[in-house]
Amino acid sequence: MIRLTKVELRRLTARRLTIVGLAGLFVITVMLLTATWFNARPLSTVEQQRAQQQFELAHKDWVDNAAVNRQQCEADWKTQPDPKPTLEDMCAYPEPKLEDFGKPKTVFAEIMPDLLQGSSYFLAFAAFLIGASFIGAEFSSGAIGNWLTFEPRRLRVYGSKLLAAATGFVPIAAVTLAIVLLGTFLIVDRLGDTAGVTGHTWGDLSAIGGRAVVTTALAAVLGCVVGLLLRHTAAAIGVVMAYLVLAEGVFAAFLEKAQPWLVRVNFDAFVRHDAQYYVTECKSGNDGSYGCESVVKTLTFEHGAWYLATLAVVMVLIGGWVFHRRDVN
Amino acid sequence: MSDVAISTRGLRKTYRTRRGRKVVAVQGLDLDVPAGGVHGFLGPNGSGKTTSIRMLLGLVRSDAGTMTVFGKTVPAQLPEVVGRVGAIVESPKFFPAFTGRKNLELLAEAIGAPRTRVGEVLDQTSLGERGNDRFRSYSLGMKQRLAIAATLLKDPDLLIFDEPTNGLDPAGIREIRETMRGLGDRGKTVLVSSHILAEVEQVADTVSIIGHGRLLASGTVAEVIGGGAAPTVKVAVANHEAATRILTAAGMTVRADGNYLLVEGAPEPADVTRRLAHQELYVSELVPVRADLESVFLELTEGEGL
Repeated sequence: MIRLTKVELRRLTARRLTIVGLAGLFVITVMLLTATWFNARPLSTVEQQRAQQQFELAHKDWVDNAAVNRQQCEADWKTQPDPKPTLEDMCAYPEPKLEDFGKPKTVFAEIMPDLLQGSSYFLAFAAFLIGASFIGAEFSSGAIGNWLTFEPRRLRVYGSKLLAAATGFVPIAAVTLAIVLLGTFLIVDRLGDTAGVTGHTWGDLSAIGGRAVVTTALAAVLGCVVGLLLRHTAAAIGVVMAYLVLAEGVFAAFLEKAQPWLVRVNFDAFVRHDAQYYVTECKSGNDGSYGCESVVKTLTFEHGAWYLATLAVVMVLIGGWVFHRRDVN
Repeated sequence: MSDVAISTRGLRKTYRTRRGRKVVAVQGLDLDVPAGGVHGFLGPNGSGKTTSIRMLLGLVRSDAGTMTVFGKTVPAQLPEVVGRVGAIVESPKFFPAFTGRKNLELLAEAIGAPRTRVGEVLDQTSLGERGNDRFRSYSLGMKQRLAIAATLLKDPDLLIFDEPTNGLDPAGIREIRETMRGLGDRGKTVLVSSHILAEVEQVADTVSIIGHGRLLASGTVAEVIGGGAAPTVKVAVANHEAATRILTAAGMTVRADGNYLLVEGAPEPADVTRRLAHQELYVSELVPVRADLESVFLELTEGEGL
């Protein structure tokens, strides 16, 4: 099994699609860091002067008119019908501050979790694509038949392929995420705010990165299984695209309450340690009115972890059963 | 080594078409391939040769029957003997984007063969210089040679070639034939399936003929040919009419064939010359017409409606 896995790893790393995929990952990583650098750049001198002028105008207006405006507002508040907002909500005139004008500083601890989550999406997609092609090409070329005349123990063959795909993507994902993490830190340290970064922050970010590595390996395995079931890379990608559009797009939009049973929210819940999603809740009021509002729901990390684990186990078992039984032509 | 390399009993395989119709590919095949030498596995297209080979290699599941390879039940014990079996099923199938050498290196690593063995088998199959070219750039003959090289990685005792000369030019066909014969002469067992009978006749020691997934005849080439058609003699003689009368009276069957007479039923060709010479008819030419595998094959498969 170990020898077979090594052979499969050698094949995986020698494939052109793997090399192209890695080059694509590198390009995306560079683009991500470039975008971060653009977003973190401070304003130019001219823009800063303009912001300063705007602040001074606003502050002067506040000094001149805030008291009068508040008095007028309080008078208006008294005439508001019930239920009326609180006085502070309606008539707060806070003093303008310079940092409210111009571009806010980029804060490392705030942007990094989103960047890691975004990276986990393209890593998972690349892993799925390469995993599906890794097996799909073997079936479409017929090479699997030749392979089985050298190693007829199908479950070993199957296991070695999945293991190779999973282990092959662990270092790829780890290195990509490390580059994103450290690259972003260096950019923000120079152009933004890293003052609040503590050991705890690094721990949280490493945990997100670690879970993104797990989802990447899982995506590679699922890619292999779907490639094996459909025996063609294009078919595997087509099925995933159809799922994303129909289930995650159309179905989730019409049946919002089904979101906890779809992949994307569970994926987010696992990677980010809890994820939020929105459902629209409508109800009739006592006065006969009928209104709808968007309610935020939380999907827990545990739910996401169990969901992904169950999905992986079920798919791997189905793939193994089919491969064990299937006639190879 | 057991005397029989391959044995099947009551082997059966049914496919279901996309429309749900059942197609019987192999029905109760009893096949014995003796160990050592070249065994031709003959049958028309669609007679179940490839399906039978696939079942022996564990690629296709049989519906019924038993199979053994070197005395081991397959597919259950196939892993125990797979190291002694090399096979090329239909067209050679490798990873097209990899070089021939890379394809062989992966297979060698999978079976624990030393990497130096790859160079050896490439040289043995005259692919040494093209080993670093991509598989997809190979001609059909080169692909076939690479497939043979792959089977030789294991130095197998049994080689299974399924239609190995399909699409090859005459030089390629001759090369493959010589390779198979050479392996057979070295004591290896070669099972070669083909529907090209002349090709098998030239190389095989024993043959099995199947039709509709069933065994129709089996044995040495001489046995199969002898059992299928009566000996015939082609005779050139001046007076056809008189010769026909004399030989027919002797219990032989005579029919005209251009300037010749075709005589069947003569115990020995010498009987023909002796009887005619007695009546002062002298034979100018006498050629024993040997029944060939093709005529036997056609005779057998015609009876099956093939």
